[in-house]
Amino acid sequence: MPQSGFNPKARWDRHIPQKDADHNNPDGLSEKIAVMAFFQQAKLYPRLFIWNNKKYKITKVTYNWQERSGREVISYFSVACGFNLYQISFNNSTFSWRLDKIIQ
Amino acid sequence: MILHIDMDAFFASIEQAINPYLKGKPLIVGSRNSKLHTVVCAASYEAKALGIDSGMPSFEAFKLCPSLEFVAAEQSKYIWTSEQIFEMLKEYGFEVFYASIDEFQMDTGDSPGAQELAGKIRESIYSTFNITASIGIAKNCLLAKLASKINKPNGICLLTEENLNQTLSKLPVEKLCGVGKSTAQVLTQLGINTCLDLYQKEADFLEEYLGKVGLNFHLSLHASESLKTNSIEEDKPKSIGHSYTLPWATENPGFIRAWIRLLSDMVAERLRQQDLGSQTAHLWLNSPEIGNFNCQKTFREPTDDGYEIYHRCLRIMAKMSLKSPKIRALGVTCSNLFSNSYSPLLKEEKRREALLKTIDRINACYGENTIYPAQVTLTRKMPKRLRTAS
Repeated sequence: MPQSGFNPKARWDRHIPQKDADHNNPDGLSEKIAVMAFFQQAKLYPRLFIWNNKKYKITKVTYNWQERSGREVISYFSVACGFNLYQISFNNSTFSWRLDKIIQ
Repeated sequence: MILHIDMDAFFASIEQAINPYLKGKPLIVGSRNSKLHTVVCAASYEAKALGIDSGMPSFEAFKLCPSLEFVAAEQSKYIWTSEQIFEMLKEYGFEVFYASIDEFQMDTGDSPGAQELAGKIRESIYSTFNITASIGIAKNCLLAKLASKINKPNGICLLTEENLNQTLSKLPVEKLCGVGKSTAQVLTQLGINTCLDLYQKEADFLEEYLGKVGLNFHLSLHASESLKTNSIEEDKPKSIGHSYTLPWATENPGFIRAWIRLLSDMVAERLRQQDLGSQTAHLWLNSPEIGNFNCQKTFREPTDDGYEIYHRCLRIMAKMSLKSPKIRALGVTCSNLFSNSYSPLLKEEKRREALLKTIDRINACYGENTIYPAQVTLTRKMPKRLRTAS
């Protein structure tokens, strides 16, 4: 039935520390990376990232989503570099990119 | 007409879109990262085909399929996708409502071409998010929801006056939203086996044998009013609650209290967001020793303060027969909700109100949990020394 007061943010896990490396994100890296990306119509398109002095050409962005944390908005991208998949994120308040984890 | 848009295996489909290597494989999304100590939040259709479904303990799922793929749930991506789909649906110019995080309802009124619109919506969702949705179209919400299940996954079902009876006659009554195991048993005893049997029963008959629930079924199945009319009554929630299943059963009182405090604070925060106060606190505890403990108490003053709700819950917990049972899951719900018009008079009350407002402002500015009660820290990680053998 319709729930006009429904709020998808009223979620159960918000107090669980997701960035705790040994808890919800065992593959967590959270390492600073350099990213080449372009903006188009208020959207962000990462094309390449450099991690440990190695260039990773992004062949496909498989998914992207955002999370608001107070005044910060973090944009997440799951990206394919050849056969490997990574999750990278951009923090709009610090203007910094991070490699969050290796998905596959 | 009402369009009920139901995302197919929502969480699992998003994980498969993120990681294309998971496509076509049996996959479960667990509520926490511990593969064998969690509950299945969502299962892909490949996993569902093996008998795995939401709510099942993950170790049982792995027994059914040892090669099952596993991903820990990350709510932010599901919430964002849900919000984006909601915004996308609003662009069609009709009233749209959330039914849940992965279900939406759209009222197209008397506009023709509901089926074509459903086709467009389905294509649009797929091309944007690479996930599928099933859409049911019918004259009211309950029938539209039922219709959305008929051609799942990635299907559309239109229930018209012409095909309604034939379609309902093929559906067991358990398929209808709101018919659980016990209601289904009662209905079977009354000779109601299919959705058509229920649809054709008179309101008086259903009210006589099922009370208010029966009457509601009749009204909901035969309704044809718009969502807008329905929603006016439902603007204010009847209750607000949060629950959590612990990784394992524990009898440590400090840990249990910390969880009650956290859940109370989560409930209180939502009460304050909606400018509501609650008079009735409800505590639910699940214990392997005593099963479910459910108790509620109504207090004179409404509150939106997590600390007060926590203390009310502790008073309720004192009623338990066993003084320190092992607890596996717990929940805090507040009901009897009123618009918060109470202005504090006492100095301590004023101080408390100012404190809560400040905490809310800090968390709104710098992100959730920037500031929280110290007691809640215990819930962040269940220390091994607190672990009791289960």
